[in-house]
Amino acid sequence: MEQIIFIILSVLAVVGALAVIFSSNAVYSVLFLVLTFFAIAGHFILLNAQFLAIVNIIVYAGAIMVLFLFVIMLLNLNKDSEAPTPALARIAGAIAAGLLMVTIVGAFKGLSQGSDVALRGGEIGTVSRLGQVLFSDFLLPFEISSVLFLSAMIGAVMLGKKNLKDS
Amino acid sequence: MKTIILLSVLGIVAMMADIFKYRAVLWYLVLAGIGAAVGLELLEWNQNMPYYGMLLMDNYAVAFSCIILGLLFVWFLVSRDSYTGQEFNDADHYALILFSSVGALLMVSFVDLSLMFLGIEILSIPLYILAGSRKKDLSSNESSLKYFLMGSFTTGILLFGITLVYGATGTFHIERIASAIGNSTMPVYFYTGIALLVVGFGFKVSAVPFHFWTPDVYQGAPTFITAYMSTIVKTAGFAGFYRLFSTSFSNARMPELMEGTTWSILVIVLIVLTIVIGNLIAAYQTNAKRMLAYSGVAQAGYMLMAVLVSQVEDNTKSSLMLYMASYGLATLAAFTVLYYVQKSKGSDEFEAFTSLGKTNPLLAAVLTISMLSLAGIPPTAGFFAKFYLFTSVLKANPSLLWLVGVAIFGSLVSVYYYFKLIISMYGSDEKSTAEVPTNMAYQFILVAIVLIILFLGIQPGLITNLANL
Repeated sequence: MEQIIFIILSVLAVVGALAVIFSSNAVYSVLFLVLTFFAIAGHFILLNAQFLAIVNIIVYAGAIMVLFLFVIMLLNLNKDSEAPTPALARIAGAIAAGLLMVTIVGAFKGLSQGSDVALRGGEIGTVSRLGQVLFSDFLLPFEISSVLFLSAMIGAVMLGKKNLKDS
Repeated sequence: MKTIILLSVLGIVAMMADIFKYRAVLWYLVLAGIGAAVGLELLEWNQNMPYYGMLLMDNYAVAFSCIILGLLFVWFLVSRDSYTGQEFNDADHYALILFSSVGALLMVSFVDLSLMFLGIEILSIPLYILAGSRKKDLSSNESSLKYFLMGSFTTGILLFGITLVYGATGTFHIERIASAIGNSTMPVYFYTGIALLVVGFGFKVSAVPFHFWTPDVYQGAPTFITAYMSTIVKTAGFAGFYRLFSTSFSNARMPELMEGTTWSILVIVLIVLTIVIGNLIAAYQTNAKRMLAYSGVAQAGYMLMAVLVSQVEDNTKSSLMLYMASYGLATLAAFTVLYYVQKSKGSDEFEAFTSLGKTNPLLAAVLTISMLSLAGIPPTAGFFAKFYLFTSVLKANPSLLWLVGVAIFGSLVSVYYYFKLIISMYGSDEKSTAEVPTNMAYQFILVAIVLIILFLGIQPGLITNLANL
């Protein structure tokens, strides 16, 4: 049963990711990306990480993708306004990304399947376990990330308001 | 740790300055706060205090924190003029700069990869915004967007690298990663992870071929933001790079493939490309700001040499410190002079510097000495920085003589373009005899920076004796 769900989700994720790249309409790309995120969220549930699955759906598939759609609509992208990419850049990009893919495929080739993480302990990945780890072992990174969010907020306000000279 | 809290609080104080109307005294508050931070940092010397298993304030971290705080102090001193001109709101800018330097301090003291990642993000995100703070200037917008897109893309690569290393070793702690390597043969994807980490850091320190963003971002951003990016961000990036690779990956070997560490060949390729390409392109520039950007790229090549031999020779720590301090001070002085010339002449091409030697002999002298230091000519600090770095590379591995040869060739090329700027300053031109107006106080600060550069050139032991950390 688990095997079948895994295969279905994997096919959905890979096909979705490919469709993101190959569809010519940017809006379709975003929708396929949403599909990919849902498939990955399914994978998280299979690995007993419910919290990550929900966050993945709410934040990525929900908030960020809606933002993407708005930006695409505002920019009014179509074939005519697309800047031409020089052939050299395309070839270089294809070679670089292809090399990266070969490296990663080569690195993972021949790995055997490990023991099932979800079955070991059974608690790993649940919200309560995550909360405990976050507020004990990872307390310092958790607190320090507030500096990151604060600076992002100040930046958003700063970009939004007028410079002193203009007002 | 105390310093990190103090700087975060200082950032919040700066953020509130507009609301509670103390912007007039904010600058003094910030300077006093950074001074106190240096004091707090010095108290941690020799303490080796771990914090929550995430930070370790060993002497390496304390020394680099002090260099970063010192450069930050100088940055606040020299950049004041661009905030009295009322173009930018200093409260917002100071808050973002202070938060960004919290990230820089994390980068030099982390022992946990999760904190390293947070440090890089806290360091970069305020800068994406600051680079675009001239909202109506197209090149500033381009700079911000380019930095943001490239930066977030490489952050993804860096994270992927961290994931693979975590998957292979099962820990984020840099010392436990090292001991995990010592015990067993690692899976191949572990080395892929290291390669991805090299790429991620290579972007952050703008090593060739990950340097494409540098000239455009440096040129488009406001001058003092560029100065911050090319000094403090670079120092933090290298300190983090060195800390991670010397602690965790000094034993990462695949004996069936090659001698030495697996990543050393990758770093050697980066060094050669960075030194050769960075210096050659810099020689073609006619714009001073762009030239300084490419000189920053080229200098990254020399600094990478310290990372390369980090696992063998302990002295590389102190030579990297001396290099960062001398490079940072000289670059800050150069950008300050550039700022004044740009402000009064409206251009940062080489022509704008013509006859600066006659109208403003002091500014010209400051720029000359900082250029000499960047080129590595005695008796400036830059000479000893290069000297110690090259000797520690040779001591670690005498077969790397050819690499030092490449580096010396690069320095010779760099003499050409640094001197091009000096010559254009002392050339005379009847048209541009207008004096560049400067303030007495800023001149005093600039002279002080130059004196420190010269002093470090006479007494480099001040920093290199920190070797036995």
